[in-house]
Amino acid sequence: MKKRILSLLLAGTMALSMASVAAAEDKGGKLVIWTLADDLKSFAEHYNEQNPDVEIETVVIAPADYLTKIQSAMRGKAKEPDIIVAEPQMLDTMYEAGYLEDLNQEPYNAQQYADNMVDYVWQAGQDADGIQRAISYQITPAAIFYRRDIAEKVFGTEDPEVIGEKFKDYDTVLETGQTLKDAGYKVFASDSEMQFFSGNSAWVQDGKLTIDDDRFAYMDLCVSLYQNDMTAYVASWSTPWYQAMGGAVPVIDSSANVWDEAEMEEAAESGNTTEVFAFGLPSWGVLTMRDHVGELAGKWGVCAGPSYGFSGGTFIGINALSENKELAWDFIEFVTTNEDTLDWWIEESEGDVVSWIPTIEKHKDDVNEIYGGQKLYEFFLEQAEGIDYSMVTKYDKTINDAWGAAITSIKTEEMTKEEALNVFYDTVQSTYPEIEIER
Amino acid sequence: MASQSGRKKKRDLNKTGYICVAPFVIIFLIFNVYPVLRTLYLSFTDYKGFGEAAFTGLQNYVRVITDKFFWRDLWNTVKIWSVNIVLQLGLAFLLTIIFSDIKYKVKGLGIYRALYYLPNLIAATSVAFLFKTLLDWRYGTVNQILSSAGLAKGEPINWLGSTVTAPFVISVIGAWMWFGNSFIMLMAGVQGISKDYFEAAAIDGAGRWKVFTKITLPLLKPIMLYVGITSLIGGLQMFDLPFLMCGGTIGNPSGSTQTVVMYLYKFGFETNQVGFASAIAYFLFMIILVVSAVQFKLLNSKKD
Repeated sequence: MKKRILSLLLAGTMALSMASVAAAEDKGGKLVIWTLADDLKSFAEHYNEQNPDVEIETVVIAPADYLTKIQSAMRGKAKEPDIIVAEPQMLDTMYEAGYLEDLNQEPYNAQQYADNMVDYVWQAGQDADGIQRAISYQITPAAIFYRRDIAEKVFGTEDPEVIGEKFKDYDTVLETGQTLKDAGYKVFASDSEMQFFSGNSAWVQDGKLTIDDDRFAYMDLCVSLYQNDMTAYVASWSTPWYQAMGGAVPVIDSSANVWDEAEMEEAAESGNTTEVFAFGLPSWGVLTMRDHVGELAGKWGVCAGPSYGFSGGTFIGINALSENKELAWDFIEFVTTNEDTLDWWIEESEGDVVSWIPTIEKHKDDVNEIYGGQKLYEFFLEQAEGIDYSMVTKYDKTINDAWGAAITSIKTEEMTKEEALNVFYDTVQSTYPEIEIER
Repeated sequence: MASQSGRKKKRDLNKTGYICVAPFVIIFLIFNVYPVLRTLYLSFTDYKGFGEAAFTGLQNYVRVITDKFFWRDLWNTVKIWSVNIVLQLGLAFLLTIIFSDIKYKVKGLGIYRALYYLPNLIAATSVAFLFKTLLDWRYGTVNQILSSAGLAKGEPINWLGSTVTAPFVISVIGAWMWFGNSFIMLMAGVQGISKDYFEAAAIDGAGRWKVFTKITLPLLKPIMLYVGITSLIGGLQMFDLPFLMCGGTIGNPSGSTQTVVMYLYKFGFETNQVGFASAIAYFLFMIILVVSAVQFKLLNSKKD
């Protein structure tokens, strides 16, 4: 009896696995995707239009919870989701834990696409041994988004090249801030607009904490911007921060009472109200701005910042335990390397920048009217080519948070620079005892 | 013969009993006992949340005890909890006195009880978002009101940006959220006290204060003990409000709102040091155990 059950089970398993191979061949079956944003949902629907026999279940999980959910699933040896995605800071953990399938091997042979992908994105998808485990359909280089109309008034030009020079290093940013303040504007809405450009070297090198001069310059810049009244004192991602993209926010210098209507009107008449000149955002900021610029559409421009930087991006990989790997790979190829899909995505997203070089080149003369008819694909490709991915370490999030906290403590005068730096060193030491710290 | 069948029946009854409690016992073993024991095991390892775990002995515990941030965060937690509990219980007591006074005879207790309990029903995320908006330094309603009332001249108060006000704000919001709960508990306690005592006291000419200190308070002791211990356990595990309002696990400004559980979360979920996080959890558990025992002893000690 036992033997019969066992043989039935074995036969059943075999039939099931054969069915799954067959499913991949004629593109039927079911794919489960756990993702971070609605983007992949749109891609899945688009894939479905062309492969109606494939059933796709897309689950969107908030970035803050994503890694925990995946970890719980993978600790339980889950075969679903078939497709796992990650933001850059989650990738190392996933590689180390062995969650993602090796895409260099048969039948995927991902390396065939290497030359057509923007370098830094391709590298980010590789584990410590250089094995490809994830691919992203987008690039996310950082840029300065600025008001062309204000630039024309204050600097006499709206040319992105010239305005880029006004942000070429932190000292110049401060001078630019002063010039704009004198002209009655604020250079930024918040004082953390330069966060995507901070630092030109890795936080941890050969096991040692490294703080290059740029990090200190960035710290001084944030403090000066805040203390010298050059920003609108709003927090990034808050309502007034978004409002500032569409025009004036109720912001005046610290001597005036923001809440007194009469005083505000008086201030407006005497020209004391200000508008925000620039935002620092990665390329997906094109979409964020698009939704908030309102009547200022066409009056924004995009230029380079003080260094190369990037933030975010959705990397797609296959669950190493999935039973639908071929179908999952078919989906990944469809999303990241299929030129028809990428053309469709550029139109659908109204400006997201893809990582597939032939498609970016094809669209390089496309102009974006919201940004004064600027050719953004060409610009972002140039910015992406300058990114050095070797600067990224698994320690970045914690160390960046601690550095940000130190800056906040200094700018609000809760601590002196020395005290804040000591707390910063202590925090890094407490969080990662293995990092060597020279004070 | 008869006694034999009786024994059999007894055995059968025992069996039925075991079968009836089995679902609970199984679920309890899987979801309560196993995680507790597993966490204890992990606290002696360098488990990262994946892969193999190597035994590291007491290393994690030594690290907890010697890390100044653990003690800073414990102090932060105690500070936030103390202010919170004074406000929360103070308010609950005041309302209890008013509602239980036989002379006032306040009507509509049910409605008030529901109203006071309402903040407890709002998700912490919504509360955090609401108060973050209200307390915004430049754009918040609170500063707007203070300013129009002429109470805050010059620079607006940076409620969540100063190490003095930020923990206080968290305490006050916590008290606002949970005083309704304490009020219901205390009211239930008061209603459990026989009316005879109050009537007798009234006949003997006892004043309101005397009645409160000599009758209500002593008879409320078991309830107060319960409220105190549950609040302490909840307080030491405080996480959601400061996490949502003060920039995640960093506990802005200057780490003044980082609580012990935020510290634990940082290691367990943000930096993949699950073994160390387990040790923090056990150390916190021991602290809560000791403090609860002391509290129990103090409140239960009989006066001669």
